[in-house]
Amino acid sequence: MKLIKLFFVVSLFFLAGFGQRLSFAEDNLSAGDIIARSRLAFYYAGDDGRARVTMELINKAGQKRVRELTMLRKDYAEGGEQKYFTYFYQPADVKDTTFMVYKYPDKDDDRWLFIPAINLVKRIAANDKYASFVGSDFTYEDISGRKPDEDTHGLLGKEQINGKNCFVVESMPKSAAEYTKRISWIEAENFLPLKEEFYDKQNELYRRFEAIEVKDISGIATITKRVMKNIKTGHRTEVAFQEVEYNLGIEDDVFSERYLRRPPLEWIR
Amino acid sequence: MLSKLTKLVTGFPKTTIALLLVVSVLFAIQFPKIKIDTDPENMLEQNQPERVFYDKVKKEFGINDLLVAGIVDEKGIFSPDTLKRIAQATDEILKIKGVIIEDVVSLRTSDNVTSEDGTLTVKRFMDDVPQSPEEIERLRNDLFGNPFFVDKIISADAKATSIYIPIEKKDQSYRISKEIETILKKELLPEQKYYLAGLPVAEDTFGHEMFVQMGITAPLAGFFIMLLLFLIFRMGIAVVPPMLDAMLSVIWTMGLLIGLGFTVHIMSSMIPIFLMPIALLDDIHILSGFFERYPEIKDKRKTIIAVMKGLYRPMFFTSLTSAVGFSSLALADIPPVRIFGLFVAFGIMAAWLFTNTVVPAIIMLMNEEKLERFFEKRQKKTARFNRMLEAFGRFSFHRSRAILFISLLIFIAGIIGIYRIRINDNPVKWFKPKHRIRVADNVMNKFFGGTYMAYLTAEAEKEDEIKRPEVMAYLDKLQGHLEALKIVGKTSSVADIVKRINYVLHGEDKNFDAVPESRQEIGQYLFLFSMTGDPNDLDNFLDYNFQKANIWVQMKGGENADMRDVEQSLSGFMRDNPVPAGINIRWSGLTYINKVWQNLMVRGMLKAVLGSFWIVLLLMAIEFRSLWIGLISMLPLTLAIILSYSLVGFIGKDYDMPIAVCSALALGMAIDFAIHYLQRFKSAWQEFRDIEAVNRFMSGEPYRAIMGNAIVISLGFLPLITSTLTPYVTVGTFFALLMFFSTLATLILLPAIMRLWGRFLFKAPVLPGRGLNETN
Repeated sequence: MKLIKLFFVVSLFFLAGFGQRLSFAEDNLSAGDIIARSRLAFYYAGDDGRARVTMELINKAGQKRVRELTMLRKDYAEGGEQKYFTYFYQPADVKDTTFMVYKYPDKDDDRWLFIPAINLVKRIAANDKYASFVGSDFTYEDISGRKPDEDTHGLLGKEQINGKNCFVVESMPKSAAEYTKRISWIEAENFLPLKEEFYDKQNELYRRFEAIEVKDISGIATITKRVMKNIKTGHRTEVAFQEVEYNLGIEDDVFSERYLRRPPLEWIR
Repeated sequence: MLSKLTKLVTGFPKTTIALLLVVSVLFAIQFPKIKIDTDPENMLEQNQPERVFYDKVKKEFGINDLLVAGIVDEKGIFSPDTLKRIAQATDEILKIKGVIIEDVVSLRTSDNVTSEDGTLTVKRFMDDVPQSPEEIERLRNDLFGNPFFVDKIISADAKATSIYIPIEKKDQSYRISKEIETILKKELLPEQKYYLAGLPVAEDTFGHEMFVQMGITAPLAGFFIMLLLFLIFRMGIAVVPPMLDAMLSVIWTMGLLIGLGFTVHIMSSMIPIFLMPIALLDDIHILSGFFERYPEIKDKRKTIIAVMKGLYRPMFFTSLTSAVGFSSLALADIPPVRIFGLFVAFGIMAAWLFTNTVVPAIIMLMNEEKLERFFEKRQKKTARFNRMLEAFGRFSFHRSRAILFISLLIFIAGIIGIYRIRINDNPVKWFKPKHRIRVADNVMNKFFGGTYMAYLTAEAEKEDEIKRPEVMAYLDKLQGHLEALKIVGKTSSVADIVKRINYVLHGEDKNFDAVPESRQEIGQYLFLFSMTGDPNDLDNFLDYNFQKANIWVQMKGGENADMRDVEQSLSGFMRDNPVPAGINIRWSGLTYINKVWQNLMVRGMLKAVLGSFWIVLLLMAIEFRSLWIGLISMLPLTLAIILSYSLVGFIGKDYDMPIAVCSALALGMAIDFAIHYLQRFKSAWQEFRDIEAVNRFMSGEPYRAIMGNAIVISLGFLPLITSTLTPYVTVGTFFALLMFFSTLATLILLPAIMRLWGRFLFKAPVLPGRGLNETN
């Protein structure tokens, strides 16, 4: 009993000291603030944007599958509604497949998929946020973001990653989610996540996200190379963003069923 | 040379014993390093082509070791309370470390793809536990509307559900299965039954039972043999030398096996039980001779030297032939069988060493006064048994022609019986029918698509070829053919997934429950599927480059014969329906692997039996300096083996691994009786020069010694019948039978032959005198 008490006191002491040092280090940003700002920096850069994306899905044995796509995004409210349009070039037999998402802050997304082989636009229910995005290690949630108030956040401290100062934030889901704990390393300067680690139901690390390359594009810090690795299966996905552009003034009607069938050529080359 | 050893040993009995005990300690200290191996795949060589292919299939298709938990509620599982319990249990199971979370297949974790109001929906069957009757009805329709999951996670009668739990490493299966059991016990009601099946569980249980075997059955067999020895000699102290011999040879053999780093497999765990009775056979001859001669010589050392002198040759040859019989197992292509054979052979030769050292040394240490007193009592007691043996001896001698005629009839009937033998095995049946594992296996096969897995891999020459519509359609048709077979419960492949998506995308129109006709369509459906689940959802069925597809064939029976039938039926199908160009189809999976090693076993054992037959014949011809006597010495055991195996054929018992192994062993053991008989006959003939007199002599002490051997060797294996594992039971019963027939054949057939031709077989002696064999 005594030992437990002693341990308790000691840990309190450490916690107090730890918190104090942090408050000196940063200008009173809470963990929740950091996560909210990170979400804006990562998912809401500019008012709209376009990128040519190459995804390499690599299994444990080193075999590869390639996904090549153009992604268009338009924001309707900062931190709120967004629309995505995706056109696939690769794999060859899915060329001309398109995928569209309307993202709402407080309800399930609307999703549509155009299947060219049978000339069919199909609505897809979006109740599984944790499903894989086109077979990659990214979930839909990883691609389009998660609302900060779905987790409780705690600041673990500050660490450097590749010489960059990062906040280390621990996030625990309030209700059942795909992970049971997430730890994010968020760069203090631009609020981009440089590393994220996801823990599963067995409280074991199973996925790790890493930003490999960050570039300044029209004054906006952008992660142009990233990798998500499943530690347990050895499967990983490497993503490269090319031809990234922001604030293009993409019209509303691009994000419509009509364009799903006939992709907007001015945006997709 | 050996007589010098006997003189030395009997001169320094205590030193001899001490020296051997010290060496034995060196072997004994290896024991803690023991490693148990229960993997049935290890029945095949590491580089055996079928095994290499199976390993490749497992790796390429991400097939992990699988535990299957079955939950049965006789009232049906579709009630809010039962479903809640199932959901809670599943959630808890996911938390067990070592469980591969995303690959668990169950009501709670598996996705259903449906189309509702024109919207494609992918969701877990039971994300939320249904409460209202409508919700429950919906879940029921979802499940039974998706053929992929019927008979897999829901039984057709809705009374059972199962959870498929892949695990990261096989060596964790024991802990994980215990944790699963705890969870199921806690979450379920007492009237809801659960069953745990899956290969890892079976292997663990088997490993445990093997320890029980070695720790309980083997010592039990030891006690039983001790009892038999006591009944034969009626003297407590006489039990000590053979028992010590047996124990030391077991210690040396197992110590060497473990020390050299070999794993203890099902076969090698039987070594102690085999070795014990074999090891002390020669000792029975020594003791029997010693007790016979001691009253007249009245000096322990002189008696031993005199008795041993007549036994050097037969003891050496009986040991050698037994060792040859066992080491002939090295001709089999099955590593555990090879190791078993070679190490038992080593053990037999070690026992021969102890027979020549420890045994005479201990006899030297016996109390002379006690011996004297014992002999006075013994004379009267054994008279009745002696009269029986004499009558037996007269019978076989005087009815010689009838005996030969009947033997010929048995021989012919035997051949017919052997032709009726059905070669078959099923490792799950290595457990007795009431065993937990067998019960679980039966229940799971009753409710679901079958627990015996085989895989069919279609491999193309180029990437992406599996997406060709004709390939996909062929897989579908092939599955249809397999599922029409009674023994096949369920098949699953990428074709099922493509068909399902086609059906769902077309508003669940039955006309589209088929493989699409264009490659684009197939490619896009698979792409769509990859957008709905985990990156590795398709892994089990499709390789990364779309070059290989894997069909899961779940069978309701794991008999090798079942597998053979399925295989043949498929070959027929493939003959009538040619495989699309550039595609190669090949079997693998554990059920198939079992069939492969069973075939190797049959061929290997045949090689072993024939091999040891020729070697033993050669040894006999050398031993007796006569090809004819060599051939005659082989007759009784040949008859006994044919008779035993024809019984297997007539009774309809499957020719399985244990039965196969017995044949080669029986040969090396059964020849012993003939060796002793013929050696004694030869020396008696040289003394008496009269067949009738020789026969009278033979039915005295020589018969007693041979009978003593026969009793120990036949009954010594009987404790195996108490085992919980059927291979031990089979070996115990069958070996006892073999030895019983061999003894009978030797004591009936050989005297009959000797009466008719004995005088021509043995040449005139150079030196007359009883107990001398060194004639040439």
